[in-house]
Amino acid sequence: MNTEPIWKSWFARHGAKLLMFARQQSRRPEEAEDLLQEAFVRIWRLYGHTGEVAPGLVYRAIRRLAIDWARSIDRRQAREQRVALDSPLSFSFDRTLEQDERKHALMRAVERLPDQQKEVVTLKIWGELTFDEIARTLDESLNTVASRYRYALQKLKEWVPEEMEGKTSGSSSAS
Amino acid sequence: MNEFEKLEAELRELQPSEPSAEFASRLESALGEAGNVAVRCLPDEAEEECTVKDKMEVNPTHFLRFPRLLAIGGLSGLGLAAIWAFFFYISGNILSDESDASRANVTPIAGNIDVGQPLASLVEDVDSPIHGLSLEQIQDVSVMPVNGWLDPQSNERLLRMVDEGVFQQPSGFPARRVRHFFMDETLWSHPASDTRVLSTTPREEVILIELETY
Repeated sequence: MNTEPIWKSWFARHGAKLLMFARQQSRRPEEAEDLLQEAFVRIWRLYGHTGEVAPGLVYRAIRRLAIDWARSIDRRQAREQRVALDSPLSFSFDRTLEQDERKHALMRAVERLPDQQKEVVTLKIWGELTFDEIARTLDESLNTVASRYRYALQKLKEWVPEEMEGKTSGSSSAS
Repeated sequence: MNEFEKLEAELRELQPSEPSAEFASRLESALGEAGNVAVRCLPDEAEEECTVKDKMEVNPTHFLRFPRLLAIGGLSGLGLAAIWAFFFYISGNILSDESDASRANVTPIAGNIDVGQPLASLVEDVDSPIHGLSLEQIQDVSVMPVNGWLDPQSNERLLRMVDEGVFQQPSGFPARRVRHFFMDETLWSHPASDTRVLSTTPREEVILIELETY
């Protein structure tokens, strides 16, 4: 009988979003994959037999592992050495999106968000978690995550036109 | 749609890039046996097989939807009954002849055993439809050839998996116990008459998956 492990289809659905969140949490792409692997394997070993695992469990495991790893000296040094240009989200999206000026501006605006707001936006938009699930994932109150999300959207609304103008003016000045 | 909803829709259009194939391979290695506990059939597989495995449970009505399977099962039962009756008849005759020949030399151990009577298990059932029939006649009655059978083919079929929870092993480490339910099938074939006899036997297998404490 030709069969396929269920985790493969599960990961095909959620892997990209989880990896983006892991990149956001770890700040370093090579560490992000390790982080996601560790979190996913732990959760799947516990709950994978059911064939369906709530993505929120993996998001939470990623965050907690990231905190644990950051506490170790080696990891802390690595985080301190991180380069500002290694913006985590810039390589988390499909690069073909950069062809669309507005989408590119939107992506850059998301990158400008404070980390706390960025992780809420990531979990809400791409993780498709509810505010309640986000609150449990981040160990914050429901009101806090909802406020962060609202502030983030407000900022994005203001920043996207700025990013587009900046890009336009930059291109015109360059030309 | 207000401005925020429009912004959310635009954000959703930004699709995160997919993890690499190498990373998926790494995950597969890291998962090990735990990755194979829950499986699904690929789309090109027979629908009935997928239904059983995807739901990880056996629905008794599932089998009722397959008259072909029932027909095979029924014929198998009849065939097996005929074979059993045939061997019973043969062994009965042989033992009966032997007992007739040696009956005079047998010394009763207890006085209440009548050596003149055959053992209860060897008593022929006069009501049996094959009583008094010769080998050729039995072959005709059962529509089952006696000679020319191929070696039997065995196959195991996974019906379902049941997770029985986490247990503490004698070593102290937790392990998840998963019980597999198989159906072992043995098929006898007689190519000359295009006859097949299928025997099915249920079997259980338990695997323990060691868990890491987090």
